[in-house]
Parts: sequence; C-alpha cells; structure tokens
Amino acid sequence: MTQRTEERLTAYAFIAPYLALFIAFLAAPVAYGLYISLHDWHVLGQSRPFVGLANYAALLQDDLFHRALMNTAYFALLTVIPGNAVSLLLALALNARVRGETLFKTLYYLPVVLSVAVTAIIWRWLYSTEFGIINHYLSLLGGPRPAWLNSPALAMPSLAVMSIWWGAGGNMLIYLAGLRGIPDEYYEAARMDGAGALARFRHVTLPLLRPALLFCLVMSLIGSSQVFGQSYILTGGGPHYSTLTVVLYMYQTGFSLYRMGYACAVAYVLFALVLGLTVIQYRLVAGRREDMAA
Amino acid sequence: MMLPTLRRTALAIGVCLPVLLSGGCLRQAPDTVAEPGVLRFWNGFTGPDGATMERIVKRFEKDTGLRVKMQIIPWATYYDKLTLSLAYGGAPDVFICHANRLAEFARYDVMRPVDDLVSADEGLDLRDMLPNILAAARYDGKQFGIPLDCHPQGLYYNEKLFREAGLIGPDGRARPPATLAEFLDAARRLTKDTDGDGRPDRWGFAFTWLRTNWITFISQFGGSILNEDLTRSAINQPANVEATRLMADMITRYRIAPKPEGFDSWMGFRQGRVAMAIEGIYMLSSLEEQQGLAYAGAPVPKFGRRMAAWGGSHVMCMPRKLPDDRVRLAWRLIRYLSDNSLDWAEGGQIPIRRSLLKDPRFRAMRVQSAFARELPYVVFEPASHKSTEIMPFYDAAIEASLLGIQSPQQALDEAHRRIGQVMARP
Repeated sequence: MTQRTEERLTAYAFIAPYLALFIAFLAAPVAYGLYISLHDWHVLGQSRPFVGLANYAALLQDDLFHRALMNTAYFALLTVIPGNAVSLLLALALNARVRGETLFKTLYYLPVVLSVAVTAIIWRWLYSTEFGIINHYLSLLGGPRPAWLNSPALAMPSLAVMSIWWGAGGNMLIYLAGLRGIPDEYYEAARMDGAGALARFRHVTLPLLRPALLFCLVMSLIGSSQVFGQSYILTGGGPHYSTLTVVLYMYQTGFSLYRMGYACAVAYVLFALVLGLTVIQYRLVAGRREDMAA
Repeated sequence: MMLPTLRRTALAIGVCLPVLLSGGCLRQAPDTVAEPGVLRFWNGFTGPDGATMERIVKRFEKDTGLRVKMQIIPWATYYDKLTLSLAYGGAPDVFICHANRLAEFARYDVMRPVDDLVSADEGLDLRDMLPNILAAARYDGKQFGIPLDCHPQGLYYNEKLFREAGLIGPDGRARPPATLAEFLDAARRLTKDTDGDGRPDRWGFAFTWLRTNWITFISQFGGSILNEDLTRSAINQPANVEATRLMADMITRYRIAPKPEGFDSWMGFRQGRVAMAIEGIYMLSSLEEQQGLAYAGAPVPKFGRRMAAWGGSHVMCMPRKLPDDRVRLAWRLIRYLSDNSLDWAEGGQIPIRRSLLKDPRFRAMRVQSAFARELPYVVFEPASHKSTEIMPFYDAAIEASLLGIQSPQQALDEAHRRIGQVMARP
C-alpha cells in the first residue's frame, strides 16, 4: 500500500461515520422522495401506481399551492431585510462597547435558543385578542383591539414580527463578529477626511461588512422559504389560507391527507426554488471575490 | 438566524424521514406485536374520559383474567400513528376510530369487518342498538366496528343568567329556547354591555367549534356537504348558503354572538360571559369542574326547517390482519365495553343501546339524557373516504363567512370548486 492510498483510506475512515449518517438520513431520503413524487402514493394504498410527472403537472394547476408560494414570498419579504436590519442595529449598538455588553448579548441571543413551539406559545399569549398584553396596552391607550392572528391582513405580519424577535440574535452575533473585524484605522482615516457617523457607516462599515451581510441574507432567505412551525402552531395556515406556507402545505398534504406523492412533489419544487435562489446568491458572492482579486 | 435555519432543516428532514423509514425498514414488520393473553387497545381519551375508560378496562381485566395494554394517544397525533401502524404494521388489537374517519380506513381495506362476529355472538342483540348510529360504522354494506357511544352537540345554557333575564318557564326554572324566534329573543335579552364601553361583554350566544356548529345549521335547513351518493360537492346549494347566512347574521345583524376571532367561546361560557353555546356532550366534564357555574343542557333549538344536530361516535374497530385467536379476544373487549357503556356515559357520552338509554341510572344523568333526545336525528359528517381531505375547505369557507372575509355565497362557491376537484380524483 502506498502512502498515498493509506492517507486516502484514513481520510475516508474519518469521514465514514458522518458519511453513513448523511447517506442514511439525508441523501437516501432525498432521493427516495424524488421517487415517491413520481407516484400516486397514498400511505394506506394497496398499490402505488407510477404517474410520471402528473403530480408536478397538478401542482401547476393548484391555486392553493400558488397561494402558498405567494404567502412564503410575502413572509420572506417581511422578515429577511427587516430582520437583518434589526440584527445589524443590535450589533452596531453592542459594538459601541456599552457596559454590560455580555449581558445584552445573552439577552438578545436568548430567543434563538428557544424552539419554535415555545416561541409560538409565548407569542400566542402576547397576540391573544382578549387576554393578550399587546391588546391590553393598546386598549389602555384607547386604541383598537386587533385580532392579530385571526384577521387575514394581520396574521402574516404578526408571524413575521414574532420570527424576527426569535431569530434576530443569531445574525446579530455574526454582524458583531464582522464589525469587530473592521480595523479601527479605516475609521480614523475616514474621520480625518471629515466623514460624519453616517458617512463612516456607508463608506466604511457597509462595504467591509459585505461578506457577513451576504451570508446572513442568504441564510435568512433559505430559512424563511422553509417557514413552517410558526403557522403550523399559531394559525394552522388560516385565516382563509392567509398563512398557508409551502412547507405547511407539504406537511398537510403528506401527514393529514397521507398523499405522499403530491407532498414530495411540493417538496421538490420548493427544493428547486431554494436551490435557484442560492445559486444566484452564490454567484453574487463569487463575483465579489473576483472583485477583490482584481 | 443560524440556529433556527438548522432547526428548520432538521424539521424538514424529520418530515421526510418517516416516509423513508415507513416505506423501507418497517414495511415487513409484523402486523401486531402480539403477547399471548395481552390485548393492545389504542384510543385518544386524554381527558377525564381516559380515567373512566381505565376504570372499565381494569374491571374487564378482573372479570376475564386477560390483560389489556391501553395506550392513550392525544387525538391531535392519534390518526398519524394509527394510519402508519395500519399501513406498515404495529397496529393494536382494538382501536377507537371516529365515525367520520372510518370510511377512509374501510376504503383502503385496513380494517376487519365484524359482521361474522356479530352474527356468531348469540348474547348480542343488534336490535338493541340504534340503527342510525350503527350505520355510521358501516361502509360498502359491511359493519366495520361497534359504536361505543354517540356524542351529539346540544345546547348548553347558563341557568343563572337565564333567570336574571327573566327567561323562566311555568315551572319556575330557566327555560331553554326551542325555536329560532325564541333563541334570538333569549339571546338578545342575554347580550349585555355591562361596563358601558359600547361593546357587549356578555354574549347571548357564541360559536364554539365552527365546523360542527355549521353542520348542525346546514342540516337543519336540509343541506349537506356532498350529494346523496357522496360523489360530488353539493356545498354551495341554497340551503347551505341560507344556513351560513343565518350564522353570520347572528354576529353582524342580530349582534348576539362575538366574531369568532381570538375569542375563547367555551372559556367564555364556563366563566359566565357567554349564556348559550352549542357543544358536544363530551364537554360536560369541563363544566363539572367549573366552580359556581349553574348550567343545563337541552336539544339544539330548531333554527331551520327540521331538527338536526351534529354528532360523532367512537367506533371500536380491529385491524384487517389480526390472527383468529386474537380476534376472539379483541371481540370480548369490544363486547365488554359496549355492555358497560353506561359507565362510559357518565364521563359525558351517550350509549347507543336502547336498554341502557331507558335505564334509570342514565335518566338521572341530566345533560346526557337531554342531549339523548337528539339521537333520532343526529347528523354525522359525510361517510366518504375523502371526508378528511375536504374538511379544510369547508372549515375555510365557514371561517371566511363568519369573519366577513367573503359572503357565504362566495365562500361556499370557492369551497365547491376545491371540493369538486378533490372528489373528481379517484
């Protein structure tokens, strides 16, 4: 055995445990899902006939699926940029080296540790039309008592606000790390050139934070396109389909109606869309790297 | 955002994984993990009804020397587990199946018909059981189980609020309404703005479970969700529109019921902020534990052209592939539970045996016996194997109508289109 082969074998031995898990729990199910999506696959069905692309063709006609796509895009719109803005603001505030920084960092990060179920249950009480603390203070101020989760116009924004609260701490840490990586000399130089705080932010902070920004935006976009737990727990997709998201629709099709073939087709369309978005974002990052090389 | 993303990915994997496992490894698993002399019994009785069931099962064990392994699984996930066990193995010997879910299992041929057991059992007189409830457990001419109970919804009313509003009968007791006119009159007198902020804070009535309340209403107007042979949608028929409009009018026109958005109606009834509610008999136990609430039950008033009330039934069933020796044991449990369904009724259920309905012990259960008067005209959800699949569409239509998102006609037309698509599939 040459040394090279031996090295290779050692390498494979090291990755083998992960690879085995990856194949068993990710690669194989993903491939099997594609296979299922080509069949009329009812869980209880005695036969599961091959239907080719019929499930995908039906998806094109399915206005509820279109609705779910639009709702998911709407959720992404409401969370990706506003959520990252919140994270960045928090990071900027913490970067000013305030007293008790660790405490604030922990506090802002705390929601991230919670599961979506816990978060949703907390917010269900906050949003409660009758007993919620939000409506309590609104009515003390003489305001209306909106049905946050039960009106079609408010339900999705309410889920978005909750999701931002839940996730902002995670990106905050990444932004904070990014900010800490910007050498002070740049700011000194900018200050000498007479740049104000806003100009320093625009011309120094933002460009140098671009890798972190891109990373966070991509991850948020992928995350928000898979939104599920929030509407599953808080609204069940309602009222009147206003919070029906793609993953929730997939879940309901697969696990309430047991139509696995159709559910897998939904999953694959979502997969293709997320992959497409990621490729576009990746190109942006790659383009940026070439800029730097040049 | 990192962690949630990971978690969502994990969740997505978790969604795919059971599909893989169930399709692959579990496929060949034996149908039941049989221990000799031990019966496996699944149900979703997580409330006080679970304790009642446990007592009856304990007595069965003592009387027969058999052992029962009862597993109580919350209804919310019960059918996921049951469906997978019926499809891939691991199903119990006896399980409870709601009448409205039965057709789906029957049509996919995963349940054992019990006709042979019924006819071989000389001690069982089928004529003692109410035929319309028995029929709810029949599919394609075969009996797929024995109904343990029937649980219709009826009118719960707050006796104290009734007396305060002067709604008293000749016997000096609170008098429940029996017609639409009486109902609206009572509800108007019971709806009050006690703190003077211009909004009622005590309601004459409130919709609790929209779906079942709606089924009661449309059935009273002669409507239905599907056509008679359960092949096509009939949901936008005039009778349904009329019934749905009446429900919406109770909120917007007569102003006797709150909008069903974020208002916990049942809690409202328990706390005396709602004077009437139409709910299932199984909600009784939650009233019994409410201190200081004077409640009573009556049949649902006649809102439409005929008497009707939504009902459900817990049917005792067996999986298709059960070895004969276990079938005999399972049948003994089913028979025992049916024979003792008077004990079961105490927790807020109604037996379906005529002999038990006449029993003085049952007559002494005041709400149960009031709701039992509805048994001759109780209405079940459509006995189609597409029942679960079409449900979300009428749920959405009812919600949209009552919240004023769509007119009843628009909402039901939309549901008609969607249900039509579902029914058109094989």
